[in-house]
Amino acid sequence: MFYDILVYGFIQSLALVLMAFGFSLVYGVSRLPNFAHGAIYVLTGFVAWVFFKQAGLPYFVAAVLAIAAAGLLGVLIYYLILKRVRGMEVSEVIATYAIGLALLEGLRYLGFRGSTYTLPPALDGVSFIFDVPVDHQRIFLVVLGFAMLATIWLLTKYTRIGRALKGVAQDERAAMMLGIDSDVTAAIAVALGSMLAGVAALIIFPLGSLVVEEGYKVLIYAIAVCVVGGLGSWAGTVMAAFVLGYSQYITVAYGKPHFQMVVMLLAIIATLIIRPSGFFGRQKQLQERV
Amino acid sequence: MLEASGVMVFYENMLALNNIDLNCPDNGVIGIFGANSAGKSTLMYALSGIILDIQHKEKMRGGERISLFGEIRHNGEAITGLKAHQRAQRGIVLCPERRRLFPESSVFENLAIGGHLATRAQARETMAFVMELFPALKKLTRRAAGFLSGGEQQMVAIGRALMAQPKVLLLDEPLLGLAPSIQHIVVESIPQIRKERNISVIVTEQYARPVIPYVDYAYIIENGSAVMEGTSRELFENPDIKAAYFGCG
Repeated sequence: MFYDILVYGFIQSLALVLMAFGFSLVYGVSRLPNFAHGAIYVLTGFVAWVFFKQAGLPYFVAAVLAIAAAGLLGVLIYYLILKRVRGMEVSEVIATYAIGLALLEGLRYLGFRGSTYTLPPALDGVSFIFDVPVDHQRIFLVVLGFAMLATIWLLTKYTRIGRALKGVAQDERAAMMLGIDSDVTAAIAVALGSMLAGVAALIIFPLGSLVVEEGYKVLIYAIAVCVVGGLGSWAGTVMAAFVLGYSQYITVAYGKPHFQMVVMLLAIIATLIIRPSGFFGRQKQLQERV
Repeated sequence: MLEASGVMVFYENMLALNNIDLNCPDNGVIGIFGANSAGKSTLMYALSGIILDIQHKEKMRGGERISLFGEIRHNGEAITGLKAHQRAQRGIVLCPERRRLFPESSVFENLAIGGHLATRAQARETMAFVMELFPALKKLTRRAAGFLSGGEQQMVAIGRALMAQPKVLLLDEPLLGLAPSIQHIVVESIPQIRKERNISVIVTEQYARPVIPYVDYAYIIENGSAVMEGTSRELFENPDIKAAYFGCG
């Protein structure tokens, strides 16, 4: 039982990192809460399904096209809608949530209902870790989760765009003074966040079936992880994903699987009562010194 | 050449800048002196275009109404409508009041982010120049900028602004809160920057004495209006100015 929790809790944590990191990235860079995150996640899954099952493309090509489509959708959402409401916090939430609702319920309207839709796993087979059976798709999920974190880290350290994102995330106006266009960085952030949601979807959906309801679940999971970790803090997001991932798996192991959502909602409430800025409330200690 | 004519800024009905005319020639050093809240920072925001962002954000959140009038020209072209990042691309770079470094990034990374507009070769060359200008930074490159002392932060802030390859460098209160010994290092960098980078510098300060030997021409601002202007010698010899801004009677 102990090893079971250790291994599957770890996998659940990485799944949460994948689900939440895009949301955290968008908020960190542009201060936009992207409530359409879950919808983009689900949409990418269905786009990949259409390319794969209906257009008959190889799965890898379908996956790449679907992720590119998610990025493009992110850019469009930013320039057509979010740019106009940016700075009005309530409107940002309403607009992004409305986009999410429109996408998810639009998919349902188009007939994507029930649990008959599935994506194939990238890898088949089962291995044993500490005598616990783990299928290869879940191992792939863990590897990809770490690969994604490493990619983002390298991107922000060594590329011009990545550094610009990091600058804007810390002080938007100071970045502007250095010639960084905050609209471009925000659009890139929304696109990257959407692509990360897409990657997460294509890894996680093959473990179950492709259903529209997942969109709402993923949104709540992402928000819970980001609130507990501290909104906009990338290190906090990863840490909170591990805390919540293990809490969820322990709940599944000793309680009932459907209490998973309760864990997330309780975590949000507890964080807001005890420590509203989360594990890593942004730069508080550092700012005091200046 | 950066020129401002008839620049006025209102915060709601409060007049923050009143009809400011300013002229900064190529490779000149201009001083702007005035007490706290005289309008120095507002003028720097107006010149750098940050005021447009402040105006937009205030409008979006239903805050203060900010009105702008007048014209700002760079090399003869009107840039009044250009956003801050577009002005930075033209070479007008602000090193803001209270420094505003990226606190979680290392000194090296602050400079690297500053080099957003620079080519790889320019960035490397400017980085070497900054280290030569402020040797104290050499052993701090890996340190998080938020943990530096005020003086070190100011050096990084000037270095970061230089990385953006400015033609006109706007320094807003670079000496604020620094110890006199550190003030000395920061002030001495101004003539060196002017000579070796061949750029103009516009510097604001509350207390003119440490800066005045290095400026060609200066403006004194009180309550948003330029009450006096002249070469540094003319201002230094004016008894009223001497008492108010140089701290000797």
